Amino acid sequence: MENLISELKQRIIEALSLEEVKPEDIDSNAPLFGDGLGLDSIDALELIVVLEKYYGIKLNDAAQSKAIFKSVATMADYISKNRTK
Amino acid sequence: MRKNIVVTGYGIISANEITPIENLDLEDFPFPVGEIKLTNDDLKCNLNIPIEKQIGRTTLLGISALRQAAENADVSDKTPGRKILISGTTAGEMDLTEKYWQDINNHADVMLHHDCGSCTERIAEGLGFINECTTISTACSSGANAILEAAEMLEADNADIVFAGGAEALTKFHLTGFASLMILDREVCRPFADNRAGLNLGEGAAFLVMETEQHAINRGAKILCYFAGGGNACDAFHQTASSPDGDGAYLAMNNALINANVTPDAIQYVNAHGTGTVNNDASEMAALKRIFGNKMPIIESTKSITGHTTSAAGAIEAVICIQKLQQNCKLQNVMDNSFGFGGNDTSLIFSRCKSESNADCYNNDIETEVVAKYELTNEDEIAEIKEFLKPSEYRRMGKILRSSLLTSIKALKQCNITVPDAIITATTLGCWENSEKILDHLTEPQPTLFMQSTHNTIGSNTAIYLKCHGYNTTYVQGSDSFKRAMRKAELLIKSGKCNNVLVGLHNETTQRYRDIMHLAGRDGLQPLISLSVVVKRKNQ
Repeated sequence: MENLISELKQRIIEALSLEEVKPEDIDSNAPLFGDGLGLDSIDALELIVVLEKYYGIKLNDAAQSKAIFKSVATMADYISKNRTK
Repeated sequence: MRKNIVVTGYGIISANEITPIENLDLEDFPFPVGEIKLTNDDLKCNLNIPIEKQIGRTTLLGISALRQAAENADVSDKTPGRKILISGTTAGEMDLTEKYWQDINNHADVMLHHDCGSCTERIAEGLGFINECTTISTACSSGANAILEAAEMLEADNADIVFAGGAEALTKFHLTGFASLMILDREVCRPFADNRAGLNLGEGAAFLVMETEQHAINRGAKILCYFAGGGNACDAFHQTASSPDGDGAYLAMNNALINANVTPDAIQYVNAHGTGTVNNDASEMAALKRIFGNKMPIIESTKSITGHTTSAAGAIEAVICIQKLQQNCKLQNVMDNSFGFGGNDTSLIFSRCKSESNADCYNNDIETEVVAKYELTNEDEIAEIKEFLKPSEYRRMGKILRSSLLTSIKALKQCNITVPDAIITATTLGCWENSEKILDHLTEPQPTLFMQSTHNTIGSNTAIYLKCHGYNTTYVQGSDSFKRAMRKAELLIKSGKCNNVLVGLHNETTQRYRDIMHLAGRDGLQPLISLSVVVKRKNQ
């Protein structure tokens, strides 16, 4: 799980062009959206692309992603249970 | 007294039901569309255009509607006066670009017609007697903005007869783009319903024929209705999301009511933007409640019949509004709402009877002057944007978004203006770098790039940063774009709508684009042009 979490942080930084953020700056349990990193609905769509591209998970409904993208930890948890690659 | 503007004809082509897609080869595309069930060859045949002539679908739809409009208003090459075409489009001939993109070096000529301005010029050629073309590209409000501009041009005596509207064909580019935003419904869309689940894209074209009442009477034309007024405002909230309280929509409707000199209770019917997405409909309804309170007129969205025809929507729905007036004699004033990406929101009002309005009366005695000018001379300068924006604010912006915002900030600083009254943008290709990346991987979801691929991304990006809710529009007329934008600034100031206007000319090309254009015989294109000027009303 630790490996997946650090891999995920790197992918999030790349996918969302968070140039100034380092993986260690992201708290695995802190909210991803809202005040934290200043992410918005388009970032959620980019994270959905990350799920599909790297882990073979396809979401059909953007609203579904809210619970999954609560934090890096919840995201990692969802991926570990549902990944197809 | 302001001149009365009338509609003397219209032409329209659109779908009338939502069906699976047929004319585009998009395998297993799960989202139905409002598609016109005529192939390009059918359309060419109907228009007497040789089948072998390479011409995009948007253009073909545009010519179909434009010829109909001219016939309907009894305007021909023999009709005297200056006749202009103002058309809204965003896709233009993207259908041909995407068809040949993988082998574009062998089809370089296609790129000569890629820009939206060229599409309008080809639509005009299809009619044969247009004296001037203007293309407006504010995404899904383009057609409505074209109609608003028509009225402004007529009030200023810049034209005698204006054909105004919009045209847009379905393309893989924006079908997959909207799919990547996850706002397409797998079923027929349900605008304003609690169980709405997204929009259906559509295609079509519509043009109104507009002139002054006096001109129509002089030439013996039949008056279908009056154009009472219109309003344009910017939500200045987000590139793809509308604000929760519908600020931009509220301002656009309110400006339209003031411009038309009618009160909300005089409106009996609203053809809403009503796309069917959770966000748009909630935001628009909030704005409608702010305008109409508990005395709501009939609110309707016709997008479950036509699909969302994006740049053509404002014009297609204007025709529907006019037909409502023609069919139902109880209706006196009807409203047409159209909202675009970036919060480019426009509202139009059509009336059965003439209104007495002196609002925004054009006054040629008002003089204007350029009070500030800043041009980017070196691409390295773009890094200076970091002095003004936080990394989280500029992280997604490509080259042209950064350069346009930087030159805007610098020009405004020169003349000590924090928020301008209006932002008018001129561009040939918009955010071309993003479009090129999307074309390279057309079937992959690229939400951020798609969100920033429309031409009005530039002007709305500046508006979002400056929190500028004023008039906001974008011209894409090749090398004439800047002239159109400067003329608009003058129109807005002389009609009393604005005291100052931020005008920008922003063009970017890539090495690849320049190489393709070289093959097509066009050289001398610059990698980047970013120029911002501030035009102000001269003090008497």
